[in-house]
Amino acid sequence: MPEQVIDDSPEHRAQEAERRFALEQERIRRLIRVATPFISVAIAILLGSVVIALSGKDPLLAFGAMFSGAFGGTRQIGETLLRATPLIFTGLAVAYGFRSGLFNIGAEGQLFLGGIAAAFVGVMLAGYPWMISVPLVLLAAALAGAAWAFIPALMKARIGAHEVITTMMFSYIGRYVVSWIIAGPFKDKGQIPQTPELPETSQLPRLSDVFTFIEPNRAHLGIVLGIVLAVVVWWVLKYTVLGYEARAVGFNPTAAQTGGISVSMTTVKSLCISGALAGLAGAVEVMGVHHRMFDQFSSGFGFTGIAVALLAKNNPIGVIAAAILFGSLSAGAGTMQLEAGVSQKVISVIQGTIIFLVGAEAIVSWAVKRIRSMKEATDVR
Amino acid sequence: MFAEVVTPELFASAVRLATPIALAAVGASICERAGVVNIAMEGLMLIGAFSGMVTALMTGSAWLGVIGAVTGALIFASLHAWASVNLGADQVISGTAINILALGTTGFLMETIFGHPGTTDSVQTIGPVFDFPTGGEGPFATVWLWIDTVFLSYTPIVYFGMFAAIFLTWALYRTRWGLRLRSLGEHPRAADTVGINVLKGRWFAVLASGFMSGLAGANLTLEQVGSFTEGMTNGRGFIALAAMIFGRWIPGGGYLASLLFGFADALQLKLQLFSDIIRIPAQFFLMLPYLLTVIVLAGVVGRAVAPTAIGKPYSEKG
Repeated sequence: MPEQVIDDSPEHRAQEAERRFALEQERIRRLIRVATPFISVAIAILLGSVVIALSGKDPLLAFGAMFSGAFGGTRQIGETLLRATPLIFTGLAVAYGFRSGLFNIGAEGQLFLGGIAAAFVGVMLAGYPWMISVPLVLLAAALAGAAWAFIPALMKARIGAHEVITTMMFSYIGRYVVSWIIAGPFKDKGQIPQTPELPETSQLPRLSDVFTFIEPNRAHLGIVLGIVLAVVVWWVLKYTVLGYEARAVGFNPTAAQTGGISVSMTTVKSLCISGALAGLAGAVEVMGVHHRMFDQFSSGFGFTGIAVALLAKNNPIGVIAAAILFGSLSAGAGTMQLEAGVSQKVISVIQGTIIFLVGAEAIVSWAVKRIRSMKEATDVR
Repeated sequence: MFAEVVTPELFASAVRLATPIALAAVGASICERAGVVNIAMEGLMLIGAFSGMVTALMTGSAWLGVIGAVTGALIFASLHAWASVNLGADQVISGTAINILALGTTGFLMETIFGHPGTTDSVQTIGPVFDFPTGGEGPFATVWLWIDTVFLSYTPIVYFGMFAAIFLTWALYRTRWGLRLRSLGEHPRAADTVGINVLKGRWFAVLASGFMSGLAGANLTLEQVGSFTEGMTNGRGFIALAAMIFGRWIPGGGYLASLLFGFADALQLKLQLFSDIIRIPAQFFLMLPYLLTVIVLAGVVGRAVAPTAIGKPYSEKG
């Protein structure tokens, strides 16, 4: 056994110190990366408080009201889960796209297509048992969402048209198409532009109707579906060829192509899967909440999905938590407006800030470094 | 019907509808030529429209409103510049954040200042620059009416947009300043080596884009509508993005592409008036500009070449 040589030279000690410093730096970087979502939310809420205070209202009262409106009882928690449900689906949609290097900014349009497909197939399948109609309605919505993402996907794969523009444009086109269907060919009797009501066999029941020990609230089975789907998406990304190819293309398309993966094929598949997930978001809203389709059935779930995905760092399991956070903001906003007189729109300011901070991870690490260097400076003194 | 549709007013309306898109597209081509992706025009335009309206309502002067619009947009543009130039953030995400932030901020301030959502009070809009008499009979009067309506009937910001498109196209390709700006987007390392301040240049480019988007917002509220409605930009910022690409990242090209969208929009508005002759639901007219954007992109993008270093953060340390 060779003798352990203890190198005591100043060069080696300097090297050792440098190595330790580099390790320490790496550790801090990793810590910042993990902490970014939490710090971002904290900074965003702080900024929201400043905005509320500047508008002459009491931020503590406002956020207190928001909290009690979101978690104050079974009914409130149900409302939070209700609002989190579509966000899990749209969050997964956007996250799946991001993992594959695609920014699906048009989830809103795919969600509308999914919603109208669900409303149509649900009504068509009246009279069938729910075991047949519910899966078929969901399938129809997923296909409709995927179809609406297909042309942008093809344009990206074939000619490199940026999906941010094409999915956005398709979002506008889709909303007009759906608006026409609702007001024209598939309009319910009466004056209001809306589709006929879904038969009960195509609806998603409330949690409190299925599990009777839960106090009555509006949350429906969609939340369970969403959580299951998040696990499935996580599994697909981690353990299947489909997911591996998507991640490889998202990570480095050139390397993926060299490695024998068809980048254009993967792009089409990924964007269509993303569209399908967004389409399902429309379906659960129609099946679980409104039981029919109308123009204002979504309060920007597709766009909030972007915030959800970014906050979750595109991790499907993280999407569940991020969706519940945004769901609680949205559920609590009404109470906040009622009790503290603060406009509900402040939650969009908070959402925008979160995206900005998570997107510019550097801001958070910059802030952390600033605080550290300030601390060091005061320590020296 | 043809004579009723193809009037001088149709072309004038095309130019007016194209102007906010064109201003944003011209600004964006400067920004992207310097190597910074900007998809935040939608939000910057919205902020400009709102801050311009609020300033105009408070001061009673639409001209001060224009200054307010530009200031508001510049503040939000500097957020984008800070994130993407100094901090190396993902520029698409930063742009998205600004779009959402703009929607939230204008909505929140709307309710805070005016006490209700929806639409603000209105102000007297800025009128046309020229006011020549028209009318009379005969071919000369008709020709004069066409000239006056198509070329001489516009408000100041519309003319500024035309001027900016021409001037910036010249400056970008015929001056030392333009060469330097383009070098930032093609090869920032080389630009840095010959002593051009990359970060400063890119900051300027992002702010220029903010300035133009702010003017676009001012044009919407202070020259066209006279009031602000939440979300009133309605995708124009994204259409401007497509126009910029269609115009091959050249300011003048972006302007001409915007004219195409303006014309499609003017035409659909005009055709809606004839809905009892053309039996097509209104929704299909409304989707025309968006559809056109997709078709244009499908036809042109393969051949359009973006600046080489676009979207890549630059660090002096390398």
